[in-house]
Amino acid sequence: MNTVLQAKGLCKTYIVNKRQNNVLKNIDLEISEGEMVAVMGPSGSGKSTLLYCVSGMDRATAGEVIFNGRETAKLTDKELSRLRLDEMGFIFQQMYMMKNLSVLDNIILPAVKSKKNTETRRQTEERGLQLCRRLGIDDVGGNDINEVSGGQLQRACIARSMINSPKMIFADEPTGALNRSSSDEVMNELLSLNRDGTTIMCVTHDPKVAAKCSRVLYLVDGGIMGEKELGHFEDSEKSLRDRERDLNNWLMEQGW
Amino acid sequence: MFRRILKKDLKRKKTMNIVLLLFVILCSMFAAASVNNIIAVTGGIEHYFELAEMPDVVVEIESYSETDAAEKILALPSVKDYKMTRALLIMGSKNFSLDGEELKNFIAPVVVLPDSELIINCFDGGNRKIESVDDGSFYASAVFTRNLDIEEGDEVVLNVGGLSLPLRYAGQLKYAQAGTEESSDPFILVNSGDYARIDEEEDAHVMFLRDIGINNADLDELEAAAEEDDSITVRTRDSYREGFLYDMIAAYVMMAISIMLLVTVFVVLKFSIGFTIAEDFREIGVMKAVGIDNWSIRRLYMIKYMAIAVVGALIGFACSLPLTDLMLETVSKNMVLGGEHSSLMGLLSSAGVVAVILLFCYLSTRRVKKLSPIDAVRSGQTGERFKKRSLLKLGRSRLPSTGFLAFNDVLSAPKQFCIITLVFALNLLMITTMSVFSLTLRDESIHQFFDIPESDACILEPMMLRDMLIDQSSAEKTIEDTEKLLRENDMPGSCTITLFVRGKAFKDGTQAKLRFGVLKGHTEDKLTVDEGSLPQKDDEVMLTVSAMEELGAEIGDRITAQIGDREYEFIITGRHSTFQSKVVFLNKDFDMGSVPSNGTVGVQIKFDGDPDREQVEKNIERLRELMDTDKVFTISEMIKSFTGISDMLDAIKQMMIIITVIVTAMIAVLMERSFISKEKSEIALMKAVGVSSGSIIAQHTLRFVIVSLLACVISGAVLMPLSDLLMNRICLLIGDVSGIKCVFDPIEVFVIAPLLLVGVTAASSFLTALYTRTIKASDTASIE
Repeated sequence: MNTVLQAKGLCKTYIVNKRQNNVLKNIDLEISEGEMVAVMGPSGSGKSTLLYCVSGMDRATAGEVIFNGRETAKLTDKELSRLRLDEMGFIFQQMYMMKNLSVLDNIILPAVKSKKNTETRRQTEERGLQLCRRLGIDDVGGNDINEVSGGQLQRACIARSMINSPKMIFADEPTGALNRSSSDEVMNELLSLNRDGTTIMCVTHDPKVAAKCSRVLYLVDGGIMGEKELGHFEDSEKSLRDRERDLNNWLMEQGW
Repeated sequence: MFRRILKKDLKRKKTMNIVLLLFVILCSMFAAASVNNIIAVTGGIEHYFELAEMPDVVVEIESYSETDAAEKILALPSVKDYKMTRALLIMGSKNFSLDGEELKNFIAPVVVLPDSELIINCFDGGNRKIESVDDGSFYASAVFTRNLDIEEGDEVVLNVGGLSLPLRYAGQLKYAQAGTEESSDPFILVNSGDYARIDEEEDAHVMFLRDIGINNADLDELEAAAEEDDSITVRTRDSYREGFLYDMIAAYVMMAISIMLLVTVFVVLKFSIGFTIAEDFREIGVMKAVGIDNWSIRRLYMIKYMAIAVVGALIGFACSLPLTDLMLETVSKNMVLGGEHSSLMGLLSSAGVVAVILLFCYLSTRRVKKLSPIDAVRSGQTGERFKKRSLLKLGRSRLPSTGFLAFNDVLSAPKQFCIITLVFALNLLMITTMSVFSLTLRDESIHQFFDIPESDACILEPMMLRDMLIDQSSAEKTIEDTEKLLRENDMPGSCTITLFVRGKAFKDGTQAKLRFGVLKGHTEDKLTVDEGSLPQKDDEVMLTVSAMEELGAEIGDRITAQIGDREYEFIITGRHSTFQSKVVFLNKDFDMGSVPSNGTVGVQIKFDGDPDREQVEKNIERLRELMDTDKVFTISEMIKSFTGISDMLDAIKQMMIIITVIVTAMIAVLMERSFISKEKSEIALMKAVGVSSGSIIAQHTLRFVIVSLLACVISGAVLMPLSDLLMNRICLLIGDVSGIKCVFDPIEVFVIAPLLLVGVTAASSFLTALYTRTIKASDTASIE
């Protein structure tokens, strides 16, 4: 399998009140095409910072990140923006959306902004609607973002992350603000995307969510303390409950 | 505890608090400056009259021959406390020369005053009382030195009759009896010895002039004496106040501008306070949830805004001092202004601003009471509007994505962008109305308000008009002579003269001292009436509004008039608009017999064959040579000289451009900065999904460009109706003018001024929007 994302010696340091805070310490990481990687760890361990650094949303203090063969540190801000727009998708815990746009317009905005998109607006809108249908939110596409439930909004965020057919989706606690049933719906969508070939890196606190991923990284104090290969959920002979039990046992060993 | 919350809030929301502080500074600055301006001008004239010891009544005696009018007045029983001064009249600027060149900068005859007999106190340019004038020196009023390159110590030679008297310019004369209008008489004050030398010359006695300043006199008694003698005019302080009409108009225009600026700033301020409190609703919800009572929460905000308001008001007050000086610069040139109360009034108006801000804050926090804690938390978190869909659809729009987002933002927050649009439209109107006023008051199309027909040129040479001042019937001869001169020099044309004489009119026992105007000469053009019809026969007249009011007459009424020693019966056929007030306008070429004229607008010439502007200029140049005078003007030059206010409006326009540019830029910067602060999460999100910084900056700039373009459209639509309305109000102050139609320079008001607004707005919002570059995609993680 080709490597989509590679991080070597990644460090991130913040200076707060003249004190140096090393959030990421010399992290080496490789994610292959088609993988679905969960990043777990206690609060403050640097999970989100890792996600932002490898996705080019933030610049690392040291080390290098190679995404799809390109070293992101060498890219200008404009090139990084283009990379995020065309080749990456993002899902956030808080379901951030542009409040002045309808759900459907929020979904198609990255496609409209993308220079690689050669479709007409109508075609883009139609593709957005298809995504909405696939995610079961086609009936709320014309609604304002305050008129839909949290689960629907997070699915809209997934649709937005998918609109430019990215190589990889980065999800930061995608189910963190959702109830169990909405959380399951969202995870099923991510699994389905992964099944279709999209690589996913997902930060989560929830072992139930992580159990659906193919690999779990455990971060403590800015370093990867352990790594567990679970294999693709779809191909696994184990039930979700068994995968979750295995993962919990492993996490306990790591000090969870 | 509350102190700690406040301290944290001031620190954490630094940007919004600074934005608010700047708005308070602006508001306080304009409030203090405009209040000072109004007080200085309205109260300033009274203060000036007090310093000048202006008497209650001044009896002016003007006669073309020696008269015993002064003796009659002094013999009246109530005239006990009085002072009397003589004055001489020098016919024009031609009688004065500077560096060997005759002066050309004023039209009216010069009044010469002796320093030993003044009835009021005079002041120099530094507001020092002039006790005496050195031998061989003179002080001159602003009208004398206007547009003249003269400095203290320069020698001006007065040539009158056989006398050639060198006089050194000692400085500006502030003389409360002299008005500041461009068409008012220039005054010079000389040493009594020099005055005696001028007095010996026959040519300095065109008129017999005496002023008697009387205190505690019986006004009715004086007016009764004036009724019997046409050479006597009784003037009170109120009538002298009219001499400062232009300063008053300038002050009122400035006041109107200040009010517009205040409205602008208050609207933006209210919006900002409401907006910052709405942003805090989540915190309000948390405070409510933990059991803090409503009043305590509101008090927290009231204290915060009071702190910002007090600091801002004090800084604004300090900044208002130079602004007040700038606003009063024109006015203070002409009178001695008292500044004792300005600081107190400025402070009071700044305190008013603090009170208004607290009121806004009180009103804006009313919602705290109504909301449940969870409502507040939700509202604070989302800040969304409910039950309202986006008006535009990205999928259906043909606009580029950045343009779409900018338009969509404007349409999604109509209230806030409407406010900004209206504020920008007001700002633009401030410049364009000034431009329209200034142009209208110097445009040839308003010739009819000077009671003259359509003409090409005007002769205002005082020596030529002198005979008419003695006997108005000589006007016909002047017309004939001028037409002959024109014919003999191959520039044939028709001439007219409009002149005025003093007289009385009676109706049903009401008597009024009015001026009677008549147009003489050869013209096809007719004067106009606002209402009714033009006089067609010799027993028909048209009256100005103030003349009708004075007599209590209406169109169709009959009046009796006394002009000289003749009596006439007239019927009023129409209402006439003119810059003169209290005028009865007679039928064309009406014969009033041999009576002295009280004034004229010169000799108007309409050249035959309708020559172009270039030819008219050539003809005027030729006439100047033939008549050995520089007092031949085009009609627009003549109009400009009579409405000196147009220059003043031009100066105000220049100042307005500077103020408007600053205010517009500040509003754009402050509003954009507050938008960035409010939309930080959306900006971070856009960056996270891959939208470039340039695209975000363009979107933010474009929003302001859209509203400024809308403002241009609104301003363009209301400009002419508003200008007509305001212009007619101003002209009613100057004279009995109504129905004036404003003229405009389309390039200036519809292209240059809007471009200036759009340019300033675009530049300011663009530079501010550059700040969005500091917001990173990873900031999505720290969005509250």
